[in-house]
Amino acid sequence: MNGILKREALVKWAPLIVLLVLILLFTVLEPRFFSVRNLARIAISSTPALMVALGVTFIIIMGSIDLSMEGTVSVTAVVFAFAFLALGGTVLSWAWLALPLAILVGAVVGFINGLVHVKLRIPSFMASLAMGFVGTGFALLLTGGDRIRVEDEVFRGLLTERWLGFPVMVYVAALFLLIGWFIQAKTTLGRNFYAVGGGEELAHASGLNVNRVRILGFTLAGMFYAVGALMAVGRIGIAETATGNNFMFMSITSVVVGGTALWGGIGGVWNTLVGVLIVNVIGNGMVVIGLPGYVQDAVLGLLVIVAVVLSTDRKSISFVK
Amino acid sequence: MSFIKKHIEQEKLNRRNFLFASAAGLGSFAAAGMFGPGMARAAITDPTIAWSYRNRTNPYWNEIVSGGEAFVQSLGMSKDALTHLINEGSSEKALADVKALLARTNGQLALAIDTNDAPNCRPVVEAVAEAGGYVSTIWNKTDDLHPWDFGDNYVSHMTWSDEKPAEETARILLEAMGGKGGVVHLGGIASNNPAIERLQGLRNALVDYPDVELLAAEPADWDTQKANQVMSGFLTRFGDEITGVHCANDTIAYGVIEALRAEGIEDMPIVSYDGNPQAVQLVAERKILATVFTNPHWGGGITASLAYHAATGAFKPSEEPNEHREFYGPTIMVTPEDAAEFKASYLDSVPSYDWADFWGPTNGQIQYK
Repeated sequence: MNGILKREALVKWAPLIVLLVLILLFTVLEPRFFSVRNLARIAISSTPALMVALGVTFIIIMGSIDLSMEGTVSVTAVVFAFAFLALGGTVLSWAWLALPLAILVGAVVGFINGLVHVKLRIPSFMASLAMGFVGTGFALLLTGGDRIRVEDEVFRGLLTERWLGFPVMVYVAALFLLIGWFIQAKTTLGRNFYAVGGGEELAHASGLNVNRVRILGFTLAGMFYAVGALMAVGRIGIAETATGNNFMFMSITSVVVGGTALWGGIGGVWNTLVGVLIVNVIGNGMVVIGLPGYVQDAVLGLLVIVAVVLSTDRKSISFVK
Repeated sequence: MSFIKKHIEQEKLNRRNFLFASAAGLGSFAAAGMFGPGMARAAITDPTIAWSYRNRTNPYWNEIVSGGEAFVQSLGMSKDALTHLINEGSSEKALADVKALLARTNGQLALAIDTNDAPNCRPVVEAVAEAGGYVSTIWNKTDDLHPWDFGDNYVSHMTWSDEKPAEETARILLEAMGGKGGVVHLGGIASNNPAIERLQGLRNALVDYPDVELLAAEPADWDTQKANQVMSGFLTRFGDEITGVHCANDTIAYGVIEALRAEGIEDMPIVSYDGNPQAVQLVAERKILATVFTNPHWGGGITASLAYHAATGAFKPSEEPNEHREFYGPTIMVTPEDAAEFKASYLDSVPSYDWADFWGPTNGQIQYK
């Protein structure tokens, strides 16, 4: 009995322990790692990835997968930038409307994604991957390969304005993290995600409209991707087709490393926060202690395996494909 | 949606031209047959002009092809007269397309091509030479393959060496740093040739500046966001020790500038490479101290022009010196002093070039190490 309890506790806390060990390790090797300036740098690079990872967390809890984030981020970033510049180019004018517009576009892309997956009965990884390509292509069509600069000082205040050493975008991200937690823990929809992920047949037999939950899940994910896109534009000041690059690998790695199981039903937004921080602490720490870039990828790959081994009780799961 | 309609129309036209060309090719094949097989033609009066390249969604190749079209237009033809062979990054497709076009035109072909990878250059050149066509290549070629080994048919090869221009931008940077302090380099994908050459350029310049330390060189994969993160890491690792940044290209520089802005650093000396319009703007604002423009529009036009004029017999490649057969393409340094002038003359409006001035802007014969 005692053994099982220990195992459960370890599984639950493993990702956080990994994060703390990493922070300790990098701090010992280079004390400057643990300075407020550097923690702020890690927070800045984590912010867009966290938003995208939160979106895909809900999908993974349902036992599905969403690979459309790169296309969705690119297309929402580009639409936002065009609308923002067309409406006046500063948050203090009507251009603020571009912010909700971007989130709406993200929701629409996610909604179509969900429809394609559920109504055409295409596996979610295939439907979303295809939608991602459509998004990237559409962004390229809109921009013609150009970059759009968003120079508004007020919008860029997300990066340049600091409270207690951290830029505003970090606090905005924290707010959306709380929204994500609220949806997960306090709404029927959030609980339904777990029901679908834990056992779709059972959820269906209990009278749950599984298809509706799935479509809503993808729509919600699209909205979080859009917030991620806004953060990415806020950080770099450029919207382009390449804005979405790397988000697929980053976000799914983060979710898995954080301890959310790919077969659904286990994990949540706090796991994702820890996962995103682990990935970004490694990315930053490697450069700070002076290890070459290619070692970084290898370490990240190994870490995914270690995290999955530590954070899931694989004996109880027959998922070995 | 009118652009789609236009595109379909153009494709139809191209196909029609292609069919006409094939019919003409068959006719001349019969005529040539009368003089016996394998006879070398002195000149082709009206060769098909073709450009073989990766794809048009890439801004660099888009510029190359726009140069090819400008050249065709300078001959009094519509720009649709240029045949496009798009390889989408496949060497096999590049070779197969060339062979098909040679068969249809019976070798009456003036071909400009990037063969996608270096080993693919030999089979392409051999196929063209065997069919009696004329080919000019850019970028990819193995070191043992030379135009002069193929008589007139392999007209020329042009490539760009980034080492020297990168060294020059590095000197501008090191001067701006006052010849002391620490410099970091953010590179391209580590295995890419331009990435290697651009870092080497910095190393070459550093030899003359013993008081400047190369603090670190990390790949940023030609990517703005990656560059942003790498630069943030550098700032933690070295802090105020960094007094200058050498970027392998413009997209990396954008990420570096934003990473510095996040820390409230506005006056860090930075140099980059490629001469993108946005980077030129930043050079004019002195946010970047120098970038290098390789004029892909001219490169695309002149490569097609060389193949065409060799095919028509306007000049005889085998009578030209080696530096007219293998040469480096142009590089133009853009600095704050001339950024506005450069922008006006190259970016705001495309200059009209003399496509018969083959070697004026080039940079000397290719050197092998």
